[in-house]
Amino acid sequence: MSAPLLTCGGLTMRFDGLVALDGLDIEVAKGETVGLVGPNGSGKTTFFNVVTGLYKPSAGSVLLDARDLFAKPPQMIGRAGVARTFQRSRLMLDQSVFDNIVVGALCRLDLGLLTNLFRRRRWSDELGLMFERARALAQRFNPVIADRLFQPAGSFTMIDRRRIEICRALIGTPRLLLLDEPSAGMTHDETRQLMDDLLAFRQEMPDLAVILVEHEMDVIRRVSDRCVVLNFGRKIFEGSFDALIANPDVQTAYLGVSQ
Amino acid sequence: MMSSIPSPIPVLSPLRMQRHPRAVVALMVVLLFAGGGLMMHAESQIQVLGLLAAFLAVFAIADRTPLGQEISAMCGDYGGFANGVAFVCALSLIAVFHGEHYTLLMLATVALFSTACIALNLQLAFAGIANFAGAAFFVLGSYTAAVLTAYTEVPHLMILMVAGLVTGATGVILLLPVLRTRGHYAALVTIAFGLLLRSLLEVNDTLGGPQGMKIKGFSAFGLDFNLISSIGPWDVSFYLPYAVLSISIFAVAFTLIRRIERSWIGIALDTVRCDETAASVFGLSIARWKVVAFLIGNAVIGVAGALYGMMNGFVTPNGSGLGDSLLMLSIIVLGGLGNFWGAVVAAMVILVIPEKLQAIQEYRLLIFALLVLAILLFRPSGILPRPIRDLSRFIGRPGADA
Ligand SMILES: Nc1ncnc2c1ncn2[C@@H]1O[C@H](COP(=O)(O)OP(=O)(O)OP(=O)(O)O)[C@@H](O)[C@H]1O
Ligand SMILES: [Mg+2]
Repeated sequence: MSAPLLTCGGLTMRFDGLVALDGLDIEVAKGETVGLVGPNGSGKTTFFNVVTGLYKPSAGSVLLDARDLFAKPPQMIGRAGVARTFQRSRLMLDQSVFDNIVVGALCRLDLGLLTNLFRRRRWSDELGLMFERARALAQRFNPVIADRLFQPAGSFTMIDRRRIEICRALIGTPRLLLLDEPSAGMTHDETRQLMDDLLAFRQEMPDLAVILVEHEMDVIRRVSDRCVVLNFGRKIFEGSFDALIANPDVQTAYLGVSQ
Repeated sequence: MMSSIPSPIPVLSPLRMQRHPRAVVALMVVLLFAGGGLMMHAESQIQVLGLLAAFLAVFAIADRTPLGQEISAMCGDYGGFANGVAFVCALSLIAVFHGEHYTLLMLATVALFSTACIALNLQLAFAGIANFAGAAFFVLGSYTAAVLTAYTEVPHLMILMVAGLVTGATGVILLLPVLRTRGHYAALVTIAFGLLLRSLLEVNDTLGGPQGMKIKGFSAFGLDFNLISSIGPWDVSFYLPYAVLSISIFAVAFTLIRRIERSWIGIALDTVRCDETAASVFGLSIARWKVVAFLIGNAVIGVAGALYGMMNGFVTPNGSGLGDSLLMLSIIVLGGLGNFWGAVVAAMVILVIPEKLQAIQEYRLLIFALLVLAILLFRPSGILPRPIRDLSRFIGRPGADA
């Protein structure tokens, strides 16, 4: 396995009295997919929010490729190559699908006033490029989306909106992708389809590291190289999926038996 | 999948109009401008009421019937062309009414207030900054022109730019301290600024106190606008060059802000407005885009205000109050947030109709308030809702539109 891309050490997040993350150590290597599981309220989303800079952690360290991202502003972390989806979909429903997807790459595009206002040819060339990329991405997840790139995102089903969010996270060619329950609300078949699409995409970006939060154990088994289990903000297990299933601590956590 | 889906038969097909979309669009624009021109020109109450009824009928047809919807869609598809025709129509109106002071003054006034309202659209509809000091920035632009014409020999075209710089910079200085905050602090700061500016102007004697200041008329290209009384064989109003310049400033502001909307910057602004969290996670600097929108918006308002002051020949603190700023914001809400032509239509409704209908003059604010309430209740996206941004038309065609 190659050198770690993301290294979190002793990550702690307190909300007043509540400890949502408690000295969490997580490493993710280039090209690795880590399945992050845990009961409701165990701190999975909080972990994503801390890594992406939305929450300022109380203690610990976050390194991306040896670059210190601990408690840095979210836009800096985003530009460093961390992209994510949200557990509760956050799209601009009145704007077109294309607009929504391209947001994921916006900070890498030419945002100069001069180019956008007066060098319209140059801008239009970049637009053409982004259009092709957005279309290819959408095509992979659902051709219907690719055919309707310029319709409002709000006119799509919840499931397609999740796919659009994934396209938005991918279009900026991130180095680390954080997926927060991407299959929530999908049927078994749709979930399987989504994971197939993700895995296929994965082949083209072998260096992309992914952390996947997912309740569906079947999905975790299929896509993750390694699993991490959280409970009350603490890591209670790390290892292969088979070991996870057999682990008594994990079973207790999930069955809600007091520890 | 079915191999062929029968395409809906366009309503226009029996008329074969869709073969000549440009002709249809041009005809529509010409008709609307002719109506608008007549409205500004009309003197008898019957005429005004008749025109009003005609406009409402046209609007109902465009909004509710398939034929009207198809034509409206055409106007949208050929937006750049329609805007070009509109510019020519506006100039033609000036030519037609070349001798009428009052009509030309009204035309220039509508153009300059519409310019300010488009700038407010950039701030509110795109970047999500509620500027409750639109009128204050407008008046600040006028005062800048007053001071510069009174005490300096700065060329007047330059004065317009300096006014834009002054208002733009003032706005940024106001915004900087509250950039890091979320919520309504920016709005509160603009309210405070409006009140402060007004009281400052009223007590400051070098700026004329409550009586305000005289402003020299505009002159450029060796022409003193106020002295113009004929062009070639035609006797013209001295408001004619002001109207031409106002329309030109409107056209430049329109094009500029349209291009901002239809570019990466437009998407960045929408993202910052809709979802600051998502915007920041994807690497956008919220502070930067708010500053850009606020700066450009206020600069445009300042330029319009400077020319307005020079056209009127004076400026007083009166126009800078919160009420006037609210009126400007209501214009863009009424017209449809983010729709520039909507702002023009609403500016006409607010500025022209009360002048023309004596019956409502006393109750203009009351009627206007009811109108805004009605719009918010029954048509919250305004008279002309903002169309979705469709960048597909620019792919490989940078010149399309605007
Ligand atoms: N902004 C916040 N303020 C206060 N408490 C918070 C905040 N965000 C999260 N928490 C608390 O932190 C704990 C962890 O929440 P988190 O959302 O990270 O759980 P999760 O593992 O994502 O759960 P789920 O599976 O339901 O999504 C919860 O007890 C939650 O109430
Ligand atoms: Mg969660």
